[in-house]
Amino acid sequence: MGLMNISKKGMAVVLSAQLVLATQAVTMAEAEMLGTEAAINKYAALSNRTVLMDELQRSDIQAEMIAMGVDPAEAAARLNALSDAEVASILTQMEADSAGADILGTLFTIFVILLVTDLLCFTRFFNFTRCVR
Amino acid sequence: MRALRAFCLAAATFLAACAAPFDPEDLTVDVPARSQVAGVPLIQQADFYCGPASIAMVMQWAGAEVTQADVAALSFNPGAEGTYLADMLGASRRLGQLAVTIDGFDQLLAEVDAGHPVIVFQNLGVGVFPVWHYGVVTGYDLGVEEVYLNSGQLDQMVMDLPAFARTWARGENWGLVVLPPDRLPASVAEAEVLRAGAALERVGQYAAAEALYQTGAARWPENWLWPFGLGNARYARGDLRGAQSALQQARRLGPDVPEVRANLATVTREITG
Repeated sequence: MGLMNISKKGMAVVLSAQLVLATQAVTMAEAEMLGTEAAINKYAALSNRTVLMDELQRSDIQAEMIAMGVDPAEAAARLNALSDAEVASILTQMEADSAGADILGTLFTIFVILLVTDLLCFTRFFNFTRCVR
Repeated sequence: MRALRAFCLAAATFLAACAAPFDPEDLTVDVPARSQVAGVPLIQQADFYCGPASIAMVMQWAGAEVTQADVAALSFNPGAEGTYLADMLGASRRLGQLAVTIDGFDQLLAEVDAGHPVIVFQNLGVGVFPVWHYGVVTGYDLGVEEVYLNSGQLDQMVMDLPAFARTWARGENWGLVVLPPDRLPASVAEAEVLRAGAALERVGQYAAAEALYQTGAARWPENWLWPFGLGNARYARGDLRGAQSALQQARRLGPDVPEVRANLATVTREITG
């Protein structure tokens, strides 16, 4: 048993050494700057969605949703179903409607709730969340 | 859509017109009933040069000394006797401008209200004969239902709003905001402005990219992508110290981002090594 452990550890050491070498080899081969465009494509859409998802997790917004008879999990699922472009356009509209001011606090809460109720066909606030009844 | 050409009063492709009538009630932006951008020059377009003339008008409004011939050299397609939509974007960027597209009335009115002229792609034809055209929207008045354009003639063009909406809808509401890189569009998402900065890098306009990334960093100070782009643009210009300080700022905002760490390491190695 003890031997097994030692050999496992030994294997782990060898593997991690190999991993370090492999990583170094990759780093050496790519000793050039990583482009802005690739980083934007990788991170920008992600952060848009994260902003909205984070808001949905806030307790005051969850309480508001429950008070309106909306299941928070279903709201999150619907938000997740939107494309990156749609998420970006929501944030654009929020910014435009808040007249250039940073969207913070109450106003943002209202927007997020409107988004949820839009997605669930209660309201018709955002451009693309047209609901066919 | 990308294959469409503007022929400036020469007939081209057929595009079915199925525009819904414009209704101000559908607007989701809060804009005043009327707004006007001052100081956009009227340029008489040369034959088929409505695209280049539009960009020249907007750039001259912003203070640049650019003629329609300068723009045409970067965008006009003599075989097609017109200017492709993509070349309108490309030429603006090669001239060091922030260029982003918009696609509807909300954005159009928000930009004009923010003091930005907007280039629009219209089909001015009647019936089945299309007449593709680029013009510059400089103002609107929802009260009297009019849109004001600099449209390649020496007189300002006044179109009634429903007619404008129809002609613009037949161009799929394609609009283009062209600004110097120290100004930001009012109606465009942060990610699109970032991409416009990356596009400036791609065409080698590093000074313009640098200016845009700095403008963006001031507007959106929490996003590491702005100082990251700034670092890359400075690096491309050979400004290693400037690149390093921008990338250090990017690392403060995004301590765990591998791209930031990798580029900062590269720059630091080149400074010390």
